[in-house]
Amino acid sequence: MTDTNSMRWRLTGYVLFCVIILVFPYILNNDYLLNKYARYLIFGVLSAALSFSWGYTGILNLGQAVSFGLGSYAMAMALKLRTIPIQTGAGGLPDFMVWNNVKALPWFWEPFHSYTFAVFAGLGIPMLLAFVLGWFMFRGRITGVFVAIITLAMLVVINLVIVDQQKYTGGFNGITDLSTFKAFGVGFDAYSLSTYYLVAGTLCVVLLGGLAITRTKLGLILQAIRDDENRVRYFGYDVASYQNFAFTLSAGVAGFAGMLYTLVMEFASPTFLSVQLSLSIVIWCAVGGRGSLLGAALGAILVTGVQGNLSESPTFLDTWMLIMGAIFIIVVLFLPNGLISLAEKGVRLLKHKSARETATHPVAGAAIATFDSKRVRES
Amino acid sequence: MSDILNQVFTGLSLASILLLVSLGLAIIYGTMGVINLAHGEFVMLGAYTVWFLQKNFGLDLLPCLVVSFFAVAAAGWLIERLIVRHLYKRPLDTILATWGVSVILQQGIRLTAGAELRYVKMPGWLSNAVPVLGVEVSAYRIFIFVLTLLLLAATYLLFARTRYGFSLRAVTQNQEVSRCFGINAARVYSLTFAYGAGLAGVAGALIAPLKSVSPDMGTGAVIDAFMVVVMGGVASLMGTVASAAIIGQVSGLLAFVYNDTVAKALVFFGVVILIRFMPEGIFSVRVRRG
Amino acid sequence: MAMLEMRDVEVSFSGFRAIAGLNLSVNQGELRCLVGPNGAGKTTALDVICGKTRLARGHVRYRDREIGNSEEFRIARLGVGRKFQVPSVFKELTVRENLRVGLCKPHGVFSNLVGRKSGESAERLEALACLVGLADELDHPASWLSHGQTQWLEIALLLAQNADLILMDEPTAGMTGAETHKTAELFNQLKGKHTLMVVEHDMGFVREIGDVISVMHQGRMLAEGAISEIERNPEVKRAYLGSGRISDA
Repeated sequence: MTDTNSMRWRLTGYVLFCVIILVFPYILNNDYLLNKYARYLIFGVLSAALSFSWGYTGILNLGQAVSFGLGSYAMAMALKLRTIPIQTGAGGLPDFMVWNNVKALPWFWEPFHSYTFAVFAGLGIPMLLAFVLGWFMFRGRITGVFVAIITLAMLVVINLVIVDQQKYTGGFNGITDLSTFKAFGVGFDAYSLSTYYLVAGTLCVVLLGGLAITRTKLGLILQAIRDDENRVRYFGYDVASYQNFAFTLSAGVAGFAGMLYTLVMEFASPTFLSVQLSLSIVIWCAVGGRGSLLGAALGAILVTGVQGNLSESPTFLDTWMLIMGAIFIIVVLFLPNGLISLAEKGVRLLKHKSARETATHPVAGAAIATFDSKRVRES
Repeated sequence: MSDILNQVFTGLSLASILLLVSLGLAIIYGTMGVINLAHGEFVMLGAYTVWFLQKNFGLDLLPCLVVSFFAVAAAGWLIERLIVRHLYKRPLDTILATWGVSVILQQGIRLTAGAELRYVKMPGWLSNAVPVLGVEVSAYRIFIFVLTLLLLAATYLLFARTRYGFSLRAVTQNQEVSRCFGINAARVYSLTFAYGAGLAGVAGALIAPLKSVSPDMGTGAVIDAFMVVVMGGVASLMGTVASAAIIGQVSGLLAFVYNDTVAKALVFFGVVILIRFMPEGIFSVRVRRG
Repeated sequence: MAMLEMRDVEVSFSGFRAIAGLNLSVNQGELRCLVGPNGAGKTTALDVICGKTRLARGHVRYRDREIGNSEEFRIARLGVGRKFQVPSVFKELTVRENLRVGLCKPHGVFSNLVGRKSGESAERLEALACLVGLADELDHPASWLSHGQTQWLEIALLLAQNADLILMDEPTAGMTGAETHKTAELFNQLKGKHTLMVVEHDMGFVREIGDVISVMHQGRMLAEGAISEIERNPEVKRAYLGSGRISDA
């Protein structure tokens, strides 16, 4: 099994997936379902972004929802300011500000009159936050479990702050009653085909672009860092910069996904940066396969798809959390590389069968070699 | 003057609660390298144990503390046996698995005990204020402070003076070698995990009368405990104690000046800045690595 | 002028002084063996040079530049490579990918994002794999390699890195007699072009490669000289007391 060969298999899978999600609306053109599937695909983007930092670089970001939520709020702020005057309070103030006795639009809301600014903020703020946090963590050589708990702590803290600053953020309710996003003469209504394609296109770009990055030397070094971070340092690579690159890029993608989510859901809420969502992202990624961008995306689509299609009654959702917890534990214990590893095993088995006559079994070869060196050492 | 004293006492009270919650987490991390994300839910279980005992049997808080310790320790022991045990070689995966456990515990409690807030009574003899150095201090908070010191001393003695503590230190140093000397490493780990869980249970039982009891009360508690562990490092109990004291005082002060949320955020950013320069915590011990 | 110069270096681990006033200088193109009983501070000396361990006092100068307590990657960029006692390679990457990581110029994040594979480096990579006998393993994950092969892979990584000063910590541990001999041959080829510092226990191997031997004991330099002088040195004999002869250490 050569390197290029397994790459061809992988690329085929990625392209096939992209084609499927792009032709999907032709098979099933139903506004309600398109909206629902757009949501699943956004979760796919989010999960793939986590796979890039966790599966490829070994940075377990338990606060991925922070980036997602901030992106979502950036978009919601811009759309809120364009809501037709009836829904907005006196003097063009968002309604919740009026209810909270805010007299003038806060300075940090002002630039959100511009869509361009909002889009850059939705990408840039999560990236900047990740970069700064990453600088402190990775320069301080914080890795592994500490990264996990620090990112989780950040998530909780930012969530608290957003809920607490009700005057400026809408508190528990979030930002609701939004206008429709328009760009280049196209409207992106939540139930429209254009929004679905925006989402599906994003997922394609993220998957194929991500795969391309993992194939560069940079991608190789990231994987080397995951394997043995210290060893990489002694080759002269500045490990902290590489880690921060992966961490920041992943945050940017999550931020973009958050913006899309606002379009699809038509509101932004603190639940978008809740511990529960962050946990879900990690579960999707683990179930699908953290070591594969496509696997992670599929994991998200599969899990949320099952959850959304079985039932939406509250009692079911209650038990659903129990089931999710159990599935998560089982996957971590018995299938650490996720469902995609089963598929990869299958492909390898097929190819192995056809190649059995021509090549010796590599594992057996290695075992013999190990045995050899052992015998010599003992003699 | 009395304002300052008042503030110091508030800080001490916060610090003792912080220490109670983080002690178990720090012990488990320090000895096994495992971060137990279900720790907050152990705290929550401790609180619910008290609520359950008070509601059904009308017990006073003191006996409840003992029951909480053993009940939660048993839960911890079971979880170590069933799940954590298989993941010692994969520390990141332990975080994930214990996160799964925390979801199940939280949801399990929500489904059985209900999602609404529950309240636990303080013992009558502790519910008034006592003058200390001219400042009125809640007797219950003094009680928590004293009990924290007692538990700390007990933990120290357990580790430094008993055969179990000796085995534990040996296993922490080198598991394989200890095993060769006839120490049952698996059993030591189970007991340590259970002990850490039990401490969380007591912490939950003690904070139950101060706050409302709810299925998600653990999340907030465990985040504070993370800050303590990250700042204190894992080298010694002293690090945890000092870190809890500092964070407790600083949070108390910031919460007085601003509010609880802002205090939490500022403490978080402070800790993040600190780790850049003292990645092994304020009480780091230089050891030869690898 | 010495290429590497250590002056009065002190290292302590929570009170224990692992190195206590070490002086050592190595010239360009030299192959220096560092020997000594267990706990003499040999590995720690290498750790200090490559930046893994901080020194409490003293100076480490490399090509007239102070490198003591610099960050590891900065020292590595100056041309210092390190091989570890427990062979460390990237287990989940293939041998080829391992070597690509070892071919470490450029070092920057963005140049490695847009950089293309050059034909030249692909050729060098295959040549290196042939040199260490891993040509057939190029597309296998490093985790499939035997212990000896892993040692070779790490040596190949250092050659890929093309470091001027190569620090080797027990490179022949776990190798067969033939492999050890091959390593000695390789090291003899390398000296002159590269400067090598080798920590070794296997005195047969030291005899095959070493010009000048430095003996460390209890964190300081005990003796320095050709192997024949060292073996006769009474102080060295005393340091190895119990094992009788230096060759058994």
